[in-house]
Amino acid sequence: MADLLLSSTEKIFIVHGVQDDYRSDGRSNIDYRPMELETEVVSHASGSARLRLANTDVLVGVKTEIDTPKPDQPGLGKIEFFVDCSANATPEFEGRGGEQLANSISNMMQRAYQSSQAFELKQLCILEGKQCWKLYIDILILESGGNLYDAVSLAVKAALFNTRIPFVKAVLMDGGNVDLQLSDDPYDCKHLDVGCAPLLITLCKIGDKCVVDPSAEEESCSVISVVVGVTGNTKSYCSGKEIDSVKSLERKCSTIGMNGSGSLAPQTLQSAIMQGMVAAESLDEALGQALLRERQENVILKKHAYGFLK
Amino acid sequence: MPLDYKRFNGPEDSISYKRFTEDYIKSYDQLYQELIDENGVRKDGRAVDEARKMFAINDVVTQAKGSAYIELKQTKVVCSVFDPREIPHQNEFSQLGQIYCEVKFAPFSCPRKRRPHAPEAEERALSVALRKALEPTVCRHLFPNFQIDVFVYILEHDGACLAVAINAAGLALASAAVPIYDIITACTIAVIDGKMIMDPTEAEEHLAIMSPETQTNHGLITMSTLSQLRQITDFRQIGSLDVDCVTKAMDLLQKQCMKIVPNIQRVLVSNVIKYHKERKKLEEEAREREEALNKKMEEWKLLLNAG
Repeated sequence: MADLLLSSTEKIFIVHGVQDDYRSDGRSNIDYRPMELETEVVSHASGSARLRLANTDVLVGVKTEIDTPKPDQPGLGKIEFFVDCSANATPEFEGRGGEQLANSISNMMQRAYQSSQAFELKQLCILEGKQCWKLYIDILILESGGNLYDAVSLAVKAALFNTRIPFVKAVLMDGGNVDLQLSDDPYDCKHLDVGCAPLLITLCKIGDKCVVDPSAEEESCSVISVVVGVTGNTKSYCSGKEIDSVKSLERKCSTIGMNGSGSLAPQTLQSAIMQGMVAAESLDEALGQALLRERQENVILKKHAYGFLK
Repeated sequence: MPLDYKRFNGPEDSISYKRFTEDYIKSYDQLYQELIDENGVRKDGRAVDEARKMFAINDVVTQAKGSAYIELKQTKVVCSVFDPREIPHQNEFSQLGQIYCEVKFAPFSCPRKRRPHAPEAEERALSVALRKALEPTVCRHLFPNFQIDVFVYILEHDGACLAVAINAAGLALASAAVPIYDIITACTIAVIDGKMIMDPTEAEEHLAIMSPETQTNHGLITMSTLSQLRQITDFRQIGSLDVDCVTKAMDLLQKQCMKIVPNIQRVLVSNVIKYHKERKKLEEEAREREEALNKKMEEWKLLLNAG
């Protein structure tokens, strides 16, 4: 990550702080830093979101295209993640410098969204075996101040929530070719069901304890972190009448991975996963509320777009 | 291995003929019934919690510093480890030695699809996973600014290939006399419909990743451990599991990893014994030759003195 110069005394200070559940910026071990989230920031994308978590800045755009489904999964759509680490974040990302980090983030996202219990690819199907929607999720990392995985997963979920897919009015089969007819009205479209989309929670092991949402300084004090992908609760993403019709699902791990060159004791890993589940629950609920509010404001057109001006 | 861009990779749009067989679009339930019968016996006759028998030898590649070959029925993996060398194209000093891993599938290794020659996403992901698993194992502080190359070639893939690759790499590292903290072992577990299936085959892995219609647990976990130190060096899960299931799987995996350790140890010890014996034999032979020579010398000396 970013070039950080920390003396060993500073590192000891951070480690001791974590030990006493009082971190250098005043948070406890399970607190997140304040975030800013805005959806619909890119006009040419089907859905977009920008998330700023302290010094970490992530911009996500979703583009929808039409593709043919895979032959062994005729009824499913496709989703693909691309991460771009901008050299603006740190000069290290220049050229191919950020490639490894970008690959590991996109891999992790792909793995987290793999299960149908995390993201239902059936909703992207247009005509079984012939046509489906393909979502290209482009993630741009503008600034990196630690905890990229969490920030990326939050922004992706927000962007997907914001994504609109045009209604297909008619499908014509002409010989073997498929002919689609889409509505001309840009507002004639459907939203995706992304309630159970997973969030990634990074648990950074510092000393004997795990902390949630590590800053860049804290990340440099640790040799190993666990990333847990936890599926969301659809209920938090529904408003009004819908809320009674959906049933609440249990939160599950959709992916677990480890980052860094260290190793962990089994008990630590177990408690980290537990901690991740708890953190994901409150994070998911907060994200749901924020996104619903945002959508509400969009509908009654009183939302003031900030974009990058703030 | 340098990439050969001039190599002809075959037509891109060719497809496997298996797509037109009936097996191709079997439903989830059909596949499930085929793989596990109602008594909990798997297609190859194993119980649900039974791993495949392992065959392991080391020093199969004579040119490498250390190498290993591991076979789990139809999963066959070769791994070789080379001498530490200076990290190429790097001008910064690195305090810790680095491990360079490369996992490669043979073009004919997979039952579903022919592997292209150029490295693809899965191979790259496996290489990263292998590196992550090996990094805490090797005493990297002992060779600053150097890198150790670990190459894994998967000859045949029938499930659990990452676990087998890690086991092979551990064995190869040990036989290359690279300083390591502990013997690394790994294994894979598949969860299908809430059932824990140890050491899955490729078909079982495929089914575990496939999403069922219901909200049951499904997924795949690979874990690598240092058993003596009781440390987990890598843990990767995919699918959708609840926390209890993950915890239960972790216990099972830990036990299975422990079971593999004596096998690896036996291979290493028998190798040491073999070399020791060979050396003894060589020394014996040398001594015999020398004795014979000395005898000849004495004879000649007598002849000379007499003449």
